[in-house]
Formats: sequence, C-alpha cells, structure tokens
Amino acid sequence: MKKKIYPVILIILATLFFSCEDVVDIDVPEGEPRLIIDAIVRVDTTEAFTEVRVIVKETNSFFESLPPAVLDQITLLNVDNPGGGGAGETGVLDLIEPGVYSRFVSTDELVNDRFLLQIRYQGKLFLAETKYKPAVPIDGIVQGDDVIFDEDDTEIIVTFTDADGRDDYYLFDFGFGNFLTTDDEFYQGQTFQFSYFYDDEVAPGDDIVVSIMGVDQQFYQYMELVIEQSEDGFGVFETPAVTVRGNFINATDINNNDVFDNVDASDNFALGYFAIVQEFTADLSIEE
Amino acid sequence: MLLSCSTLFAQSKYTLSGTVSETETGETLIGVNVIIPELQAGAVTNEYGFYSITVPEGNYKVVYSILGFTSVSQDISLDKNTVRDVTLSENLEALDEVVIKADVEKMNIRKPQMSVNTLTAATIKKVPVLLGEADVVKAILLLPGVTNAGEASSGFNVRGGAVDQNLILLDEATIFNSSHLFGFFSVFNPDAIKDVKLFKGGIPARYGGRVSSVLEIFQKEGNSKELKINGGIGAVASRLLAEGPIVKDKAAFLVGGRASYAHLFLPLFDVDNKAYFYDLNTKLNYRINERNNIYLSGYFGRDLFEVSDSFTNVYGNAVGNFRWNHIFSDKLFSNLSLIYSDYFYGLELDFVGFEWNSGIQNFNLKYDLKHYLTDKLQINYGINNIYYSFNPGKIKPNNPDSGILEEQLTKKYANETAVYVDVQHDLTENLSVEYGLRASHFIRFGQDELNVYRDNNPVAFNPFTLVYEKATPIDTVQSSRGDQLASFTNLEPRISMSYAFNDDQSIKASYTRLSQYLHLLSNTSSPTPLDVWTPSGPFVKPQLLDQYALGFFTNLKDGAYSLETEVYYKDIQNRIDYIDGADLIANNSIEQVILNGEARAYGLELLLRKNTGRLQGWLAYTLSKSEQRTPPRNSNETGINNGQWYNTPYDRPHDISVYANYDINDKWSINSNFVYQTGRPTNYPIGQFEIQGVVVPFYGLRNVERLPDYHRIDVSATLTPRKNATRKWQGEWVFSIYNLYSRRNAASINFAQNQETGVNEAVRTSIFGIVPSVTYNFKF
Repeated sequence: MKKKIYPVILIILATLFFSCEDVVDIDVPEGEPRLIIDAIVRVDTTEAFTEVRVIVKETNSFFESLPPAVLDQITLLNVDNPGGGGAGETGVLDLIEPGVYSRFVSTDELVNDRFLLQIRYQGKLFLAETKYKPAVPIDGIVQGDDVIFDEDDTEIIVTFTDADGRDDYYLFDFGFGNFLTTDDEFYQGQTFQFSYFYDDEVAPGDDIVVSIMGVDQQFYQYMELVIEQSEDGFGVFETPAVTVRGNFINATDINNNDVFDNVDASDNFALGYFAIVQEFTADLSIEE
Repeated sequence: MLLSCSTLFAQSKYTLSGTVSETETGETLIGVNVIIPELQAGAVTNEYGFYSITVPEGNYKVVYSILGFTSVSQDISLDKNTVRDVTLSENLEALDEVVIKADVEKMNIRKPQMSVNTLTAATIKKVPVLLGEADVVKAILLLPGVTNAGEASSGFNVRGGAVDQNLILLDEATIFNSSHLFGFFSVFNPDAIKDVKLFKGGIPARYGGRVSSVLEIFQKEGNSKELKINGGIGAVASRLLAEGPIVKDKAAFLVGGRASYAHLFLPLFDVDNKAYFYDLNTKLNYRINERNNIYLSGYFGRDLFEVSDSFTNVYGNAVGNFRWNHIFSDKLFSNLSLIYSDYFYGLELDFVGFEWNSGIQNFNLKYDLKHYLTDKLQINYGINNIYYSFNPGKIKPNNPDSGILEEQLTKKYANETAVYVDVQHDLTENLSVEYGLRASHFIRFGQDELNVYRDNNPVAFNPFTLVYEKATPIDTVQSSRGDQLASFTNLEPRISMSYAFNDDQSIKASYTRLSQYLHLLSNTSSPTPLDVWTPSGPFVKPQLLDQYALGFFTNLKDGAYSLETEVYYKDIQNRIDYIDGADLIANNSIEQVILNGEARAYGLELLLRKNTGRLQGWLAYTLSKSEQRTPPRNSNETGINNGQWYNTPYDRPHDISVYANYDINDKWSINSNFVYQTGRPTNYPIGQFEIQGVVVPFYGLRNVERLPDYHRIDVSATLTPRKNATRKWQGEWVFSIYNLYSRRNAASINFAQNQETGVNEAVRTSIFGIVPSVTYNFKF
C-alpha cells in the first residue's frame, strides 16, 4: 500500500484526521471502450528463452469487469535485426487463452535489440517500441519489527546497490498488486536500504517474493502514475486525477503524407504499456 | 482635479490631527470616524490610529465614533493647526444599544473603497467554530466570495482565486502559510488581534504581489495603562496573553502564546504519534514623542507531527518586524517598516534514511507616506522592496548507514520593487474617487544551475501519444547571484469610484490590475505544507490580473440593516497549470512540468447585515464561476485538457453563509452559522484498466464532476457569569457544537479496488461528524 516517499507523507498527514470512510454509490460516467495492452516482459537473463506474454482487454465502466479483447493480429518485430533467424525469430504471437497472446523469444535477442509490438484491432493499428533495461540484484531482504500506522504492519527491509555512473530508475514488485518506484537521484552508486510496510495482507508463515526491475524514465513515470491513481485518496490533498497514457501509438491514420501525428484525433488511443525489463527476485518467509 | 488642487492654497484652512486610542488600554483605534457634521466633512483613523482633516477656520463640534465604543463629541475652535488626541471608551452596554452610529455607515456609503470586509476581533471570537477555537480564517469564510476546500484544507479562496493568490499581512509582514494542522486552525491568535480587513477587489495601490485578495491583520500594541492577562482553556489548545506598560503611557508590551495538546490525535491510531502546534506573538511599542512611535513585533509558529519515531514533520512561519511611525507634519504621516519573514518545512523519514527541509525567506523594506492635503484630498505614496531567497529542498542522510547522498536542490533568488501613488479624492459632495498606480519590477537573479532547452522549451509534446512530457535539457549553465536571469516590469493602475445618491445609497465601480511574481507549486485541491514557492523567471511568467467590479450599497431602516451587492469579473493571465502526472516535490526542474495558462472568474455577491438589536448577523450569498485553461502553444499540440476551459478546484457556483448572534440576556448569548456550498469539482472515472494486476481508474476531461454539496450548521452558547460585574476576574464559558446534524460532507470520493475483496469501490472520506466542545476564557 505504501508507495512513493512523498505521497507517503501525505497519506500519513491526511490519515491523522480522517475519522470516517464509507463506501458510497456513485453513478459513474462511461467512456467509449478502449483496448488495454499489458505487455510487460520481465527477463531473467539466466534463461535462454523468455516468454513474451501479452494480455489484452477492453475497458469497462469502473464497477464492471474487463472483458478480454479479440485481436485481428499481434506481431513482435525485431527492429534492429528484422531478418531475425534462429530459434528466437520474431513474428506473430499465438492466442493461448481468451485475451492472452504468447511467444517464446531468445533472451539474447530480447536483451540486445529494439522491439516493436504491432497490434491490429477493430481496424485500428497500435504500435509501441521498446528497448530492454537492466536492473541490479537485491542484496538482501530481512524482516523488521517497526510499524507505521498499525500494529498489524509488517516491515521488510530491502537492500540493493545502485549501479554507479548511470541514471537508474527502478520498479519494485512486492506482490499483492503492490508496486513502488524509486530513482537513484539521491543515492547514486550507493548501497541503499529502505523499509517497506505491508498491511494485513501478509501474515506469519507466508512466503513473499520481492522483485526489482530496471526501467526507463518514461516507464518509470508511467508506473508512478499507475500507482498514484490506483491508491486510496488523501482527501483534499489527493493527487489530481489523470488518464494514465502508455506508450502505444494509434498509427491507423498516420500516413506520413498529410497526417503525421494524432493532434487532430485526440481521443484516439489505447491504454497499457510495452516494456522489456530485467528482473531480479528475492524471497522471504514472514515470521511472528 | 486641477480645480480642487487650487483649494490647497486657500488661506483660511487649518488642520486638525491626532491619534485616537482606547481609554482603558491606550491601544490605538483603527477606522474611527472623525466627523464634522456641520461641514459634512470627515476623516478616518489609519492603521496606526492617526487622523488628519483640513477645513476652513471656525468653531466646530467634532464627533469621534466607532462601533462598539461610546462616541465622543468635542468642541474645537480651529483658528490654527491643532493636534487633538482623543480616547474612546468601550461601550459596555452594547447589549441595549439599539441605534447604531449612523455616521459609520454613511461614511462607508460615500467612500469609493468597495469589495472590502472588516471583522473585529470581537466578531471573530463569537463565530462558532470547530472545537471552540476562535479563528480568523474560519470567520472570513462566512463572508461572500470566500470559500475553502472544506475541513482539513489550508487557506482560503477569494472570488474563485487560488490559495497562493492571497496576500496575508500580519503587522505588514507576509505570512506564507496561514494554517495550523492542515487548516483546522489558522496561525493567528485571536487574542492578539486588533483588526482584520479583507480586500477582495478594488485593492488600493499600496498593496501588490498577489492577485486575488489582501488579508490585512493588525496585532494589538499592548495595554499601556495597566497589566492585563487573558487566556483560554479549550478542547484543543490553551492560550495565554499578557500585556502591560513598561513605561506608563509611553511604552507597552504584549506577549501571547498558544499551544495545542500534544497527543491530540492519538486515539485515531494504535501506534505512538504526536500532532501539535504552538505559536508565539510578541509586540513592543514605544511612543518616543508626539511625532514618533516605534514598534517591534514578532510571530513564531510551528506545527509538529511525529509518528512511530519513523516520521517527523515540522513546519511554520517566523516573522520579525520593526516599524517607525513618524509624523512629519499634521498633514503628513509616515511609516517605515523593516520586515523579515520566513516559512520553514522540515521532514525526517527514518524508514528511508533521510532528512529534508525547504523554505522561503524574505527581507522587506516598506516606506509609506500618507498625505492629508485637504478634507477632500488625500494622497498616499510609498516604496516597497522585497528580497527573496527560495530553498526548494535539501536532502541529507539521517544516519551514517543511510545510502542517501546529501544534495541541495538549486536555490533561487529574486527581488521585487514597487513604487505607488494612491489618491483619495472627493470630487463633489456625492462623487468620490480613489485612483492610483503601482509600478512593480521583479528581478530573478542568477543561480547555481539552470537548464537550457532546445528552442527554450522545457515541456515537450508527444504528437503521437498526445501527452506533455519533460523535455531533456541540452545544457546546464551556472550564473552568479549578481546576474539577472529575467526581469519583469508591470504598471498596475487602480481606480474605484462611488456615487452617493444620498446618505444611505450609493453605487461604486472599480478596476484593478495586479501582478504576482511568486507561485505556490501545488496541484492538489488544497495546498499542503510541503508545497514550495517558486519565483517567476525565464520559464514562468508573472500572473497578471484585471478585475472589474460594480456594486450597489444601501442602508435600510435607518441603518438597522445594510445591503451590499457586487458583481465582478476577473481575468488572470499566466496562471500556471501542471501537465498530467506532474510531480512537484523535490523537482529540481519544475519548468519541465508547468505551462502558462489563464484563469477567469465572475460572480455576484450579496451581503445583508442586521446591525442592531439583540439579534445581529448577516446573510451572504455568492453566485459565481471560476475556470482555467491552458491552450495549445501551437497547432501541433492539444493543450492541457485538450485546451478547453475547465472548473478550477475552487469553483463553487452557489455559496450561502448565514451568521447570527442573539443576546438572550446579560448572561447568555447564542451564536450560530449555516454554510451551504456547491460541491467541489472533482473527477469520476470514465472507465478502468488493469496493468500487472493493478486496477487503475482512468478519467476524461478535468473537473467535470462534483462532490455532493457541502452544508452544515454550527451553534455555540456563551455564558458570562453575572458576578463578573463585581470582580476583577472575568470568566466566560463557550459551549459549542460543530456540524450540528452530523452531515458527512465528503472531503473526497476515491475510486479504488478494495484490497481485501478485490471489488472496485467508491469510498467517501468525511472528516468530522458532530463535534461538541467547551472552552473557558478568562481575563484579569
């Protein structure tokens, strides 16, 4: 639940006063259905092949469930070596269950080359390009005994060493849909330690897995917003609501002849993200 | 104009001047009407109690009057320039007073100043408030055109303006954050306050630097007759204030302190926490002689929060101020102010291993002169210079094992200079005009690092995803603090006029131009204490306001009622707006996430007051609109929110406030207020998506929806024991109930997945239900 440092302050301050929360019925407006593309490829470089798994759904009203989308075609292209070759050759992804498309690709290729994901859906063409980002391993996680809000909080202390000499952006996945973004602006090249607090979602006896991913600045900002917008609010200090746009471009009408961009079709976009990131994991058994 | 100037040299005119103060305490009185009924001429005492009026030679009856005090009438034979200091006694029989001093209202009817509300400390203390803590900001929220974002929100919004557009002056010093505990209380100790004035428009040329309003607060000078102590014990905080003479009738002091109880919010948590605030007000004044008076005043306030030792948060204002009143002649009054003020924010997060602090400091020199040329013409002029130093943030490790590296975000420096002249001119018996000009000049000085961007453009637009993004700097340059990175000059004309049909009816009109060079970086509905101020400069332009207002003012039933009606339109250029997802804290390149947009607001305000009798109070209604937009900078962009106008977070189409005070007898009085406001603009999701298992609501255009309407009633009863009359110790009990019918006003409605059930929910957060409290006040 606790994510970025600064919002944390606001949560703490705001929580001090909020004596009352209740669930209310709200009639929400509903926009046109849009395509959602979840194409985050986590790479374990010790494996020879990596599954590129893409989950596609359609948006729905906030209180409804999300139906899987049916694509006309989904293709992964190696931009740097379009000819490809070998077992990891790029190409069409296969439908393995409704809304899930998959293909195994050579890890070597994924790590070294730029890739383009091309999706045809209801007559529209969506494109996103990405390049692999490396991460650093987690030096260790241990359980702590501090709490912030609640006696039920479970503290884990995560240590990792930032790569020296480059600007790094990291995404942590703590499981249970809990993510955290951090960049090395204030700990460049240092061994950095921080505490993360679980709510009552974690109990003694549970095994948890924490992963660290290397991301680029754009994806970092995207995940920052994803986290922020999915959080509980902080009353009048809540961060403004925004539509979290990903890196898919609607290229349907762009012909580079008389239409070069989407400025005149501002409502024409898909949600989601395509990224190839290195992932390291560490696990821990929670004790009393 | 020329014609009336010639009257300056008329031979047989003499000046009557002096200071008006309170008999019992020696405290000078602001806004006392000094009237010569025979001539239909009058003057009003200024912020330091001084008045001056120049009239033809003669024997006159001069009446000194102000609400709440017994009027004094003096026979003065004016055959030479005369100094007459007058003292007025507090009107203790105010209860039985049926006739209001009609002169007070008559003067206001004729004066061109409009869009102003004055509140006395006495009124502020009567308004029922949360947990019984009398509060300046809570009282002004009951006036037309003034709103805030609800409970637990800091500051206030005037005529659809932002919180950072209010100039808040405490004894002429700028206060940057007016709130304690996120707006539950304001930083002003009501016991130390003499007078509060809120200018919503028609702002005279002597003020500048903020575009929405001026809230001017003067602290008491201290009792120069005898030692007095007063205080209060409340549910949240206790107060104690001592004032008295150092040298009788010449020098006096005032020291006031206020502190809340440390474990105020402890019950809300099952872990250790502290949340409290305190402030200290001090003032010394010394009357050197008839023509010279000096004042030293100070304010220091802090809020502290601590949670589980892992989180510590401290912030507050500090102000120091030296003033020298010098009366050059019976027609020329001057005040020199030297002011230091700062705002500090500090934070320690142990679980991440760092300390953080940020703030703003300024040094202010003001020299103001008031020239009372004739009874028809007064000219005010002066100069003001403010030097600013901004610290956007400094981070350092809080223990040797922390991986955090010490870093100072680039400090910024600026200077603001202004000169002004302001003329108050009675053209005819019925037509008065106040006009002025303020010339302001702002310099942004060099700093350690400044980013350089391609085409000088720090915000890029992605034409494919249609998103504004940070541009990557192509270079970083260093400049010395003697260099000028940018400078701005603005001429700010002001004019207001009034035409009185008779003693009870007038129309007024005003035009105001104002510029604002400082911006509070905040994109939440209400500013947070950790928001930082940033100066205008190479990428951020100054905000420029044009405001037009028209009003009709009338006294009804011989002054028993008064009705003020105003309409206004205002337009602000260069209001900064934030790109979607802008992060504002610890951002060393803030120019990458802001664009210069525009804002406009218009509305109608009604204020009906009942001024006499056992039942007094007012009804305020405001119908208004407040919007902003940031259009595309060129045809290859969409602009923020597709370039469309959208509601500002402080747009409240309907705002009703009712305040009533009923004196049952000399023992009991009852106060009540009712507030109704259209709900705050907000966003409801038009859909949702999922990425990596996280459910994310997504939104359409900005601020299309609204929270449910806000309303509540508060009541309080004050018990003044009858035995007070015969003893030195004066006690008073205040019993109050906030939010009488326990309305759950939404502070926010948040859309998120329930972590336990996995079901998407809309969750309403409301802050206070019904809150009863008791406060005991005393003085001796």
